[in-house]
Amino acid sequence: MTDAAPSVLEPDWQRLHPATLALAIVKLGPRSFQFLPAVAALGFTGNWVYIVPAILAFLLISLLAAWFQWLRFRFFVGEGEIVIESGVLSRQHRTIPFDRIQDVSIEQGLVSRALGIAKVGFETGAGGKENDAILDAIGLDAAQALRTTIRAHRSEPLAVTDAAPTTDGAAADATPVAGDRLLYAMGLRRLLVAGLFNFSLAALAVVGAGMQFFDNLLPFDFNIFNPMAWIRIAEGYGLDSWLLAHRWIAGVGAAISLLFIGFASGIGTMLFANWDFRLTREPRALRRTRGLTTRTDVAVPVKRVQAAILVTGWFRKRFGWHELRLQSLASDGEKERDHQVVPFGRLADIDPVLAEVAIARPDADQRWQHSHHIVAMGPVIGAICAMIGGAIALYLGNAVGWLGLIAAPAIAMIALVTARYHRWADIGDLVAIRRGWWKPKMTLLPHASVQSIDLETSFVLRPLGLATLVFGVPGGSSLASHEIPAIPLATARELRARILAAGARS
Amino acid sequence: MTDTPASPTDPFAHDALNAGEGLHPVDPAYGHVLRIATALNMVPIAIGASVVDYLVTPQIEGPYGLLTVAAWLFAIIAIITFPSRRVARWGYGIGEGQLRVARGWLFRTDTIVPFVRVQHIDVGQGPIERLFGLSHLVVHTSGTHNSTVTLPGLPSDLAAAMRETIRRHIQTDFA
Repeated sequence: MTDAAPSVLEPDWQRLHPATLALAIVKLGPRSFQFLPAVAALGFTGNWVYIVPAILAFLLISLLAAWFQWLRFRFFVGEGEIVIESGVLSRQHRTIPFDRIQDVSIEQGLVSRALGIAKVGFETGAGGKENDAILDAIGLDAAQALRTTIRAHRSEPLAVTDAAPTTDGAAADATPVAGDRLLYAMGLRRLLVAGLFNFSLAALAVVGAGMQFFDNLLPFDFNIFNPMAWIRIAEGYGLDSWLLAHRWIAGVGAAISLLFIGFASGIGTMLFANWDFRLTREPRALRRTRGLTTRTDVAVPVKRVQAAILVTGWFRKRFGWHELRLQSLASDGEKERDHQVVPFGRLADIDPVLAEVAIARPDADQRWQHSHHIVAMGPVIGAICAMIGGAIALYLGNAVGWLGLIAAPAIAMIALVTARYHRWADIGDLVAIRRGWWKPKMTLLPHASVQSIDLETSFVLRPLGLATLVFGVPGGSSLASHEIPAIPLATARELRARILAAGARS
Repeated sequence: MTDTPASPTDPFAHDALNAGEGLHPVDPAYGHVLRIATALNMVPIAIGASVVDYLVTPQIEGPYGLLTVAAWLFAIIAIITFPSRRVARWGYGIGEGQLRVARGWLFRTDTIVPFVRVQHIDVGQGPIERLFGLSHLVVHTSGTHNSTVTLPGLPSDLAAAMRETIRRHIQTDFA
């Protein structure tokens, strides 16, 4: 640790704690289950003699492998970085600068606690768990010393600036400061309105399926979705003759019950999820508390907000209602990586929240650039396939084929219409991407949160001179990456250069 | 005019793609690595197909030998032709504070990672790569998309040098 030059790697290599080998033996227990089929095979074939040597060989090989791994694993704590070399056959050399380590986790299982060792994980914020480096395992005191070293290093440059987000996401040490401001709250009235717009027939599908399933189990034979059931009730009151003349009454009854269930489930889910919703600004974070039965308390550190996503619906948009989500790097243990900070609000409610995270919303007269219509190609090809499939089914005499023939043009139409809503704009220090007509979504992506950019072309886009930009942004779901599809190649190149020129955000 | 190949006219020419975009090609020896890796994948499949052919085809009175020939033909074509083409599609550029990695043709992806965005760097070497003195460079970013960017087919010393270049930037320009 007293090296003169930090750039020269002095061979001050350390190994993992020898007790790790004992841990490897413990781990052999569960792993030997994989060996059971082999034992069973030997037994079935009558080669009982070989079972004991086979088990011994398995144990020996496993222990040798563990020992080799231990032998070939070494790490080195430098002035500002940690270097790990690992691998028996394929060697890996990994360098992690302290500046990049977000947090150091120390984990102890039951056996490691008895052995006095601990597994040290370095959360670097690199996507995916397998990319995070792990020291499995070193002595507990060494682990704690290492964490102290790294934390001290991290706090040094930050101590110069007045904010020091070294303990981000730690809601436990939240000392109430007078500066806490309420940014957004939802009262009962707002919740009910939101619930009405939350009209959903998803619950209906579940209820309907359940009714089908439990139809014979129900004590009464009545299905509210079945018009015939309503007719049968009417018969009991001597209304059947009147109803036969006015059959639409039964239809209206079914429709009303549908609507009722849709609204009730919408309001219900909204009330349970967002009861007493409060979003407050704390010195370093936005803090959200909500929930009726399970109350959650989530802190989103402002400095870790990477992007803002404005979602609305084609219907609620007409009434000026929007939803704001923030994409954050912070791992709060919660499953969703996008944090819903305004579930249902006016743009006037959303703007102050956006101001807190220093993201500006483009105004109404913003000029947008469009993606090429080729983005509709995938669904259109799907629609054509559906049409062909339907035609074949009809030809074979299956009436289901009509479904394909009817659905195909609808799918194609929706795809073509939706393609027109793929737009983007480069506004100052952020990129705004809009897409969707049924569920319009606007992503506000500051240049500074972009970690990498892919420029993708394919055999379809290339002849048209188009390219797709895909942005690597921390946090969020790996399935829904931010992209601007099918824009002219030159524009894409220029935009990429402009975005990458921006400095780091956090 | 003569030293720059006309990339738009013959996009399938092996060296046109990377040169046209100002990228360096990876080491041609990486083709051998890919070839051996492909062989290790394809030969067992071909053997399996042959065994299936030998055992099953007489039972169902099918044309014996068709599956075997097709499997081996496909394996040989895959081993001989594809790797060299795939190698030619890989390209990289390093400089101006960023690493650029391009790959693929039908679906071509051209990734740029600024050095300041790099979380950590791996230099890895598999047993086949070691035979040819090659390494691969893996750059980790904190983005969920592209959390790892891999550049294979680098001579080991070049990979180490690139790692040092990127590492220096991480240290001097920490976020």
